[in-house]
This record gives sequence, structure tokens and C-alpha cells, in this order.
Amino acid sequence: MELQPIHPAPKSFLGRYVFSTDHKVIAKQFLWSGLLFLLFGGLLAMLIRWQWAYPGRSVPVVGQALFAKSNGIITPASYNAVFTMHGLIMIFFAITPILIGCLGNFTIPLMIGARDMAFPRLNMASFWTFVASMCFIVLSFFVQLGSAAAGWTTYPPLSTKIGTPGLGQTFVVVAIFLTGAATIMGAVNYVTTVIRFRAPGMGYMRMPLTVWGLWLTSILNVLFVPVLGAAALLLFLDRVFGTQFFISGAAAVRGGGDPILFQHLFWIFGHPEVYILILPAWGVVADFVSFFSRKPAYWYKGSVIAMIAITVLSAIVYGHHMFTTGMNPMLGKAFMILTLIISAPAELLFLNWLHTIWKGSVRLTATMLFTLGVIFVFALGGLTGIYLATISTDLYLHDTMFVVGHFHLTMAAASFLASFAAIHFWFPKMFGRKLNETLGKAHFWTSLVFITLLFVGQLAVGYAGQPRRLWDPHQYTFVQHLAPLNRWTSYFGFALGLSQLLFIFNFFRNVFAPANAEANPWGVGTLEWTIPSPPPPHNFDVIPTVLRGPHEFANPEVQTMLGRDWVAQNEVLPRDAETPGPSVALARGVKST
Amino acid sequence: MSTTANTFGDPRLAAHRSGTAFLGMVIFMGSWAMLFAGLFFAYGIVRAGTHAWPPTDLPTLPIGWPGVATAALALSSVALQGALSQARKNGKRVGTLTLVALAAGVVFLNLQISVWRNLWTLGLRPETGTYASVFYGLTVFHALHVAVGLVALLFLSTQSLRHRYTATAHIPLRLWTLYWHMVGAVWLLMYVLLYLV
Repeated sequence: MELQPIHPAPKSFLGRYVFSTDHKVIAKQFLWSGLLFLLFGGLLAMLIRWQWAYPGRSVPVVGQALFAKSNGIITPASYNAVFTMHGLIMIFFAITPILIGCLGNFTIPLMIGARDMAFPRLNMASFWTFVASMCFIVLSFFVQLGSAAAGWTTYPPLSTKIGTPGLGQTFVVVAIFLTGAATIMGAVNYVTTVIRFRAPGMGYMRMPLTVWGLWLTSILNVLFVPVLGAAALLLFLDRVFGTQFFISGAAAVRGGGDPILFQHLFWIFGHPEVYILILPAWGVVADFVSFFSRKPAYWYKGSVIAMIAITVLSAIVYGHHMFTTGMNPMLGKAFMILTLIISAPAELLFLNWLHTIWKGSVRLTATMLFTLGVIFVFALGGLTGIYLATISTDLYLHDTMFVVGHFHLTMAAASFLASFAAIHFWFPKMFGRKLNETLGKAHFWTSLVFITLLFVGQLAVGYAGQPRRLWDPHQYTFVQHLAPLNRWTSYFGFALGLSQLLFIFNFFRNVFAPANAEANPWGVGTLEWTIPSPPPPHNFDVIPTVLRGPHEFANPEVQTMLGRDWVAQNEVLPRDAETPGPSVALARGVKST
Repeated sequence: MSTTANTFGDPRLAAHRSGTAFLGMVIFMGSWAMLFAGLFFAYGIVRAGTHAWPPTDLPTLPIGWPGVATAALALSSVALQGALSQARKNGKRVGTLTLVALAAGVVFLNLQISVWRNLWTLGLRPETGTYASVFYGLTVFHALHVAVGLVALLFLSTQSLRHRYTATAHIPLRLWTLYWHMVGAVWLLMYVLLYLV
């Protein structure tokens, strides 16, 4: 019996491309918005780097247009808005829509063999709520006193009316609440879809690791984004209705509220958020190392267990962001130990990836290069995290550029490279065309080299003691000798920015060109590659019956029978077609949904 | 939540749809519960840091009328659950019970509004400190959820008076009942934590 009937495809332009309920179209909508905001956030980063290379000198080319009143110079007030919005935009409006909005929407139904998400209209609502949120972000730049300027963490009292009186900060708080709502809508959809719409035979332990990563991310989103919602709501009430949740000291009547409360709420969300952004990246990396080493993923179950363990642990370590806030030392120690424990499952994942590559027939496509890049930068980021998780070193490193370098290597570099790995890999399925491999590889090498130099430069100045977020750090005598290093780091940053032109060129050259990709250009057995590129609106003409796991490579029996080193997850082998063998029987035994 | 058309055809298809929608709603409610958990956490931290709660020069929260409101919301929840079980056995009283739930909900919201107005005139304003901040912040945000629920109950009433909900097709009724129980449970917690202790 068919549990997912085929609905007629929409005919009108609006129904097909704008108010679409098709998960593949919504994925593309998220991709476009995410890439647009990635560009936007990247340009803001260029402004920050300019300021740190040449403090107080007017910005070339765009300076006169952006900062007309100050003759092209980034004033301290504008600078605060620039670095605040760089962080917020990159996290909530670039990485989240690309890795979760686009990748989640596109891959989950296709990889588990479903016709669409469980709630297609909710999916559409998620995107349009996200659009409303983007509008608030853009509007915030055009109101008096400019956009939010209290840092991406939006700590009070700086983020209350006393610190940032402008309407821009209020708009950004509203945008955070709205994008949170959009994320929750998406996450409810993803979690439900994976539970209810796996194709017959697609047991949890046969799901591609990409789906595992996205599913665990969605569970964290469902549980912890609402806590950010609570924080944003209370801040909104403080700013608009004059409540006093976070206002204390001279500004408050009768004792007032507690600014530290915001830190708690923010990091209860904020630490899971770190893993929300990296779990999808780990998932695709775990799949890609197998796909492009032509070997089954080493200890698949171990990777799944490690990801689950990290998901659970991520919920109970948030205090490590607050070591210097003032905390009971016993509590601090507990948070430190729990944080350090995360390195054990993370290590397991790493070993599994390396073991998968070991002695494989590695194909260094652009996708694989980006995947290896993720492993490299995440190793750097992960190792520097240990210094910050340890209280004794964190007391020295807290709020220095070392922290900035660390989280850029993990959250920014790793997520960014993983996004490009995924875009290269699924581009043929999304748009029916392969991206140019040579351009892709050039983009990879320039990105990897400059992103590493850029963020290692940040680590270095941070280790030397340079505090983060300063408009002109060199006003401190003990930072002055770091000016050349900061300037070089900025050059690497500009080079990284410029090298993105390679991707933009590659993307636009192919995205609107006629489709010519084969159904399965990579020789991979997961379900999305068993249907045409791009897939029809209903994905599968017949819901597939899954017979095996996602990484069935280099099986000698398959090699003899089919003459290739891979077999699709639902492919019936010639031997089994004649007499139903154990694998078919096994699939039939699995409860069909 | 997902498409509700054509659920009469295959009973297994209808059951699967209903189950999926219910699971989605459960996950969504779990998520929303975390939001309220965040708000209660804020209340706990703020209260733990304050010496006099409630402050001596501010009006104390009444217990009586909010107690009646609590009873009204509880009655509303029970009535809606009754409507759902009526629908499940193709009963006749779906419409009546939904209307009872709607009426009790309206009573709750009216009592809330009168409590706010009374306290406001007595001088309890958001800017008078954390006591009032917590009270208005949490109860008004909760009341917004009640308002959303009332709009839904209005819709459910019109539908059930037209006998739209049967044993095989009552997904909206089932989902909104869960929502309404959630709103009621959060209110009960608020009544105990804000008014009583």
C-alpha cells in the first residue's frame, strides 16, 4: 500500500518556484538566501580585517559609500555594528540555511526514500518565516543609530536600551526570534520525517551518516533553539516594554534583574548550537570519505554512537563559556571535565574517517578535497578547543583572539568547507549539472591555504594576548608589536575573500545552464542517485525497498556480478532476483512504514 | 498539519497521517515546553537574587480570581478532551463540548485581563522591577498562547457543529487538544509558581 500518494505537480510559476511545498525547491531557496548572506557576512569580515590592518584609515572602493559621514573611515560605532552583524549573519543566516535549511531539506527525503517532508506546508512556512527574519536584519542597517552593536552574543547590559538605544538592536532581536521559529519548524519536520518516512528496509542503521548528522542536529534544534527564543523574548520585553529582567545597578529600581541570566540562557542554547552547526558537516564528511575512498565507512555504528554521545554531551557543557563570569569552582570543574570528555567521541569519529581513507582508492575530486580540508581545519580547531576547555588556560585565553581563531576554525572553516563539499557533491542532483572540477579544485586550494593562515594568525595574536573585538587593538602598548602580524592576517583574509570569486564564477556558469548530468555521476549507492538528475517533483516513481547500508563499496561479489565497485541501496542483485536470497528476505522482514 | 484531504480512502493511510501529525505536534510541544522552561529558569534566577519577594511596597498578586481562572482553563481542557473522545466514537456531542471548551477559555482570558487591569491601576508596572517584569512577561506571553488557542477553538467549533470530525478524520481536533493541554499545564505551573509560592 502506498503511504505517500503522488500529488499533481504545481503548474503556476508562483506555485513551482515561490510558494512551493516541494522540499527540493525549498532547499534551493535556502541555498540562494544562504549564499547571498554568506557573501554579505564575508564582506563585513573584509571590513573588520581592513580595520585591523589599517586602523582608522578610510576603506578603499566602498568606504565613501558606506561611511560617508566619516569620510570612509570605520568609526568605532560602525565597527561595533560590523563585527556584531558579521557574527550573527554568518551563524544564523549563512551556515544555518546552507547546512541545515538547504542540505537538510534536499538530502533527508531523497536519502531515506521519501516523496517529501512529513509536513510540506510547514516546510514552506519555515522558509517564509526565515524570509521575514532576513527582512528585519536588512532593515536594521537602515534605521537611526544603525544595526545591532552588542556583539553576536548580545550580552546585556550592552544589548539593553542603555547600551544600544537604537531600533536596529530591537530589529535584530526580533530577527533572532523569527529565525529561531523558522529553525524549529524545519527541525520538527526533519525529526518527524526521519522517524515516519523511511522507505521499507531503511533501518536507522542503514541511514547515510549525512542523515544521521542532520537528524541529531534537528533534535538539538528542537530542544535548544527555544531557549534562545526565551532569551530573545525577555530581551525584547526589556527593550520595548520596560521590564527589568537584565537591567541592574544604577539603571534599575529595587535591585533590578540579572545580566548574567542572559549568559546562562544564551549558552544553554549556544553550546548545543556549536554542535548544531558541525554535526551536519561531520555527517557529510563521514559519507564522503567512504564514497570517494571507494570503501565502506569504517565502523559505521561507532560513528553513529560517537555522534549520539556528542549530541547528548553538548547539552551539558555550556558552563565552559562562563568560566570567567564567576562560577562556583566545583561547578566550573564539572563543566571542564564534561567538556574534555567530548574529545573522546570526537576522536573516535576522526579515527573512523582516517581508517576509512586508509588504503582506499581515494579519488581526489573537488568534493573529496573539501572533505579532507574539513578534517584538517577541524583538527586544528578541535585541538585548540582543549586549551579553552581547561579552566587554568582559559582564564588567560578568555576573550582573546585565540577564542576567535578557535571557533572560526571549527564553526566557520569546517562548516564552510563542508558546505562547499556538499554543494559540489549534490549540485548535479539539484541543478542537473556538475560544477567544473578544475575551478572547484582551485577554489579549494586557495580557500584552504588562506583560511588556515587567516585563522592561525588569529590564534597567534590571541596567544600573545590580543583581546578580541577591539576597534583598534594597537592602542594597547602590549599589542603594538603584533601590528605586522595582524596586517598579514588581513592580507590572507582578503585573499580568501578574493578566491571566493572562483566559486561564484563556477556556480553561476553552471546553475542556469542546461542540465546534462547523469543520474549517478559519482558511482554512489545512496537512494538519491537511483533517480534522474534533477529528480521529478515526487522524487520516486515507486518507493524503493532498501536492501543494504549506504556504503556498499568494493564488494568482490558485486564486482563479479555487476562489474562495478558499488551497488545501490535498493538494487536487487541478479542472483537474488532469480531466487529471493537472504538480503531480500531480510528487507521484507523489516517493518514497512 | 499535513494535507488532510482524501483521508477517507484507506484506513491505514489515514492512521499513518494522523500518527505522523500527532508525532510532529508532540515534538513541537516539546520544543515549546523548552521555551517556557527557559522563562521559568529566568524567573528562578531572578527570584533567587532578590531579597524581598514580593517587594513590600507593591501590591501582592491575588489568589482567588486567578484560581477561578485556573479552574476554567482546566474545565476547558477536560471539555476538549471529551470532544475528542466523542469524535473518536462518532458521538453527537463533539460540537457542544468544543463550544464549552471555547466558552471556558474565553472566561479564563477575561479573568486574566481583569487581573492585569486591577494590578496595573494599583501601581504594578513592568518598570517597577523584576517582580512585575516576571509577572507580566510570563502571564502575557502565556495569554498570547491562550488567544491563539481560542482562535483555533472557534475554528474547531464551527467545523464540529458541521459534523466534520468523525472517528476516521479528526486530526485538527486531536492536535489542538494536545496544544490546549500544554497551554493548560503551563498555566498550572505559572499559577503555582507566580501566585502561590
